[in-house]
Amino acid sequence: MSQKPSHRRRFAAGLVAALVVGVGLSHWTLVRARVQENRARAERVALVSLNALVDIVERAGGVGDSVRRAVAVFARGSSALTTIRVVAFDGLSLEASTASADGGDKAAPRRLAREEKPLYDQGQRLRAAVETNHQEGGARKEEIEIAAMPGGGLALAAPVTKEGAVVGLVAVETTPVPSPPRTSWLAPLAAVLIPALAFLVLAVPIAERRWVLAVVAATLLLGTMVAYGRYAFATMAGDRRITERTVAGEVTAEAARASSVVSELSLGDPRTLHPGSWDADLFRRPLELIAPDGTVHEAKLAESLAGAAGRTRQVFGAFAVLALALLAFVGFGSATRLGATLRKHRQAYTYTFPALFGMLLLVFLPFLYGVVLSFSDMSLYTSQAPMGDLFSKLWVGLKNFTDILGDFHVATSTAGGLVWNYQNIYWTLGITVIWTVANVAYGVGMGLFLALILNTKGLLGRPYYRVLFILPWAMPNYITALIWKGMFHQQFGVFNQIIQMCGGTPVSWFEKTSTSLFACIATNAWLSVPFMMVISLGALQSISADLYEAARVDGATRWQQFRSITLPSLKPALVPAIILSVIWTFNMFNIIYLVSAGEPGHSTEILITQAYKFAFEQYRYGYAAAYSMVIFAILLAYGVWQNKVTKATEGI
Amino acid sequence: MRARSRVALCAAVAILAGLTAMAAPPVELIVWHSYRGGEAAAFEKVVANYNAAKVASGVKIITLPVPYDALADKITAAVPRGKGPDIFIFAQDRLGGWVEAGKTIEPIDFYVDKATRDRFLPSTVEAMTYRGTLYALPFNYKVITMVYNKKLLTKVPKTTGELVTIAKSLTDASTGRFGVAYWYSNFYYHAILMNAFGGGAFDAAGKPILDCEGNAKSLDLLLKWVDKDKFLPAEPSTALVTALFNDGKAAIVFSGPWFLGEIAKGIDYGLAPLPTVDEAGGKPMRPWMTVEGVYIAAGSKNKDVAYDFVKYVTDVEAAKIMAVEGRQTPANKLVYNDPQVGNDPILKVFRQQVETAVPMPNLAEMSMMWTPASSAMAAIVQKSATVKAALDQAQKEVVESVKLLRKQQ
Repeated sequence: MSQKPSHRRRFAAGLVAALVVGVGLSHWTLVRARVQENRARAERVALVSLNALVDIVERAGGVGDSVRRAVAVFARGSSALTTIRVVAFDGLSLEASTASADGGDKAAPRRLAREEKPLYDQGQRLRAAVETNHQEGGARKEEIEIAAMPGGGLALAAPVTKEGAVVGLVAVETTPVPSPPRTSWLAPLAAVLIPALAFLVLAVPIAERRWVLAVVAATLLLGTMVAYGRYAFATMAGDRRITERTVAGEVTAEAARASSVVSELSLGDPRTLHPGSWDADLFRRPLELIAPDGTVHEAKLAESLAGAAGRTRQVFGAFAVLALALLAFVGFGSATRLGATLRKHRQAYTYTFPALFGMLLLVFLPFLYGVVLSFSDMSLYTSQAPMGDLFSKLWVGLKNFTDILGDFHVATSTAGGLVWNYQNIYWTLGITVIWTVANVAYGVGMGLFLALILNTKGLLGRPYYRVLFILPWAMPNYITALIWKGMFHQQFGVFNQIIQMCGGTPVSWFEKTSTSLFACIATNAWLSVPFMMVISLGALQSISADLYEAARVDGATRWQQFRSITLPSLKPALVPAIILSVIWTFNMFNIIYLVSAGEPGHSTEILITQAYKFAFEQYRYGYAAAYSMVIFAILLAYGVWQNKVTKATEGI
Repeated sequence: MRARSRVALCAAVAILAGLTAMAAPPVELIVWHSYRGGEAAAFEKVVANYNAAKVASGVKIITLPVPYDALADKITAAVPRGKGPDIFIFAQDRLGGWVEAGKTIEPIDFYVDKATRDRFLPSTVEAMTYRGTLYALPFNYKVITMVYNKKLLTKVPKTTGELVTIAKSLTDASTGRFGVAYWYSNFYYHAILMNAFGGGAFDAAGKPILDCEGNAKSLDLLLKWVDKDKFLPAEPSTALVTALFNDGKAAIVFSGPWFLGEIAKGIDYGLAPLPTVDEAGGKPMRPWMTVEGVYIAAGSKNKDVAYDFVKYVTDVEAAKIMAVEGRQTPANKLVYNDPQVGNDPILKVFRQQVETAVPMPNLAEMSMMWTPASSAMAAIVQKSATVKAALDQAQKEVVESVKLLRKQQ
């Protein structure tokens, strides 16, 4: 190194990079939020019109001439809705339409044409949604559908109900959504330049004191992020206020129009219209942000804004953490070092690139997807929800992890003694640990024992024994598992036959946790012996005979020879094998799944089979992903610990 | 994309050449199914007949067999992303999940007229209906019925009273002989009793009802058979039931069409509908029915043409081939008027049995039912819990899982 690296320069570069990323992400989020707010405003305005229209269509009975008249009169005064179509399910009929394509011989009423199937299906979807929500007594499926049309307008559809049953739908199209407000580039530019310049000025007196530089840079970065976050939220809140005013105006206008339509066609008393309920969400629940007299409900709005502020804080907080990490990475020189090694070992990296790329594609990307999923609430029912919207309710932060790890109800004490909660992760973890330790201990012990016997010089028929002992390993383990399950059968299994021959009573193996787990461990132990035996045998044969000879000359006993020569020589081969074996056994899905299947009552489930059940029986993808992350963390911690221990013992 | 450009090209060529008769552009539809052996041969024959009839219109059906275990997951992964087949054949158990996940299967209410709907056994149509919307035309069904060894059984029991008397007389635990053998500790097999007592897994509104009175009563009856009448083997499984029947050590087995292929050559067996249950006021045993339907994939570009094939493949002509050559039990009820199908000793009994069958729930939540229900069944049969405690526990677990999935907004 010819030139001593400058802390000042590195922190300056780090701060600029962090500001660009942090402010950039925040600005991008702000722009997207404004686009969304703009769209949401158009949707709410359109929804008010649609709900008013549905109210009138329902008053007109949903079918027949009165509906056609009502739609025609309603459309006359409407500027926002370009087309209105009313469909009745009975007879698949188009009851009314203001679309220009539905003129002449295609004028309503008529049967729906084949190419209009999507319209009918949409109606059925809405009917199913209304019925589902009603049956479940909640709001799970959207009762109004909104989609963007190619021309920039919105297509909305709402169900028409008659005496509690959905009998048709109203589908409308709107004029194009106004383009979103422009967000100035000056603010983010200033938010990058001002702190960067400030740092340069401040850094002059600080010179090369690293930690002071770090603190100053971090303070500037965080200050900027907070300030920009406040600016962004203020902008978003301003947009939101405009929305409320616009919607309030729309409610007043629609109320006047609807009441004139109702009185013109004498569809009942106009005073029974409820314009306040037209400003509703997609589950047709009134938002109650607009008072019936057409003014904005300020208290409710403030409450809603406070909720939005909380979510915004979370998202911007995440950006700030990311930016801070980047600052530290560049500022403390990690980036420089990374660059240097990349340059220095360019050839090596080039050679490994194909493998790295493959790993990235096949291992790291799915893994990352799993990480992302673990912060979400994704389930079968929400699997089509877009993952791009950071403000969506799909993202639950660390909730899955706190649900999994924070649940300490391992057991409840009742009059009849302790009742274990087998679904609890700590119970499952305990079982997994017992399972792993028992299997590995037996595998190593028995494998070593058999290897020592097979290593006897002059043993007759040694090759045959070896083949025989390796057989369990060569068989697919699910076949072994199924055979062993059969052997544990209560009436016909071989173990109970033997017990009965000896005069015992047959055991129902899968009825109690202990015997059920024993059956699983016995199966897996049988499977794990050959591997350990092969490893030990290989290592045994590489020990030089001279060592034993010298020991015998010195008068060492067989036991002393074993302790001081055999075991230490086996260690380099055995320790990695044990680490591997622990990890395999920990995640040995097949045996548990096939032999005990968790019986009785999930009590012999290990972590990996439990994760499978969460994902593919209960369809809780996000929760199962978080569960897998916990398993990963446990194994990672074990790996790191084991590595340390073996390194520490290597020196001895 | 390629198909579309090919369509456009063909159309252009046709117009240029002025060939009006041959103007129809070729349309190729892909069908995924999981048939093997005789079923596959019969299905191929049906498809070949259809293709031959459609040569003039240019429609061609191409079949692709997919292993059964992989089929559902392949559909779930491929179809919502715009890949995969135009049509596929699968049972109803995944239907609810596919509808809830979206973009997988096409609703077909719009296409189906009354005549088409009426040609099927009503319960098979019900199996293909989710939340009031029809998603496939039923193709065939499978139900549990009574299979008996003709040598051992002289009189076929019509009621559970007769069943118990006959079974007890044929049971000899010391030599391992049993009057009846079936996988009674399995929730699916136990459904024959459960449904007879008006129990089940879900009510009409999709709420779990494991702890309902009918289920408890059905289990009480089962426990009486196991403990008092003692004509059933302990810890039953499919392998055990098959072995007992093939060794001539079980006179009666309750099982479905899959069991018939397992029966050893020398066994002279007969089929009869399941008996009625005296304890349930003479109501018949009601097995769960699985129905295979022909679905149109939501991503298909030729749904109208696809429906034409779906309609053809579930019509009488195709159903007869599938029944006679493929040994399926068609959902088309008109085909049983044909003497070759209607008088077949096996198909005849399944056709009778289906009258009492209940479609297995097609809700996605059904997958959450199996583990708790199986645990409860095991606990009850092994006496480690009372009927009520076990069912209450299972109900609690299912309700909790269902609640976590159906999260409200």
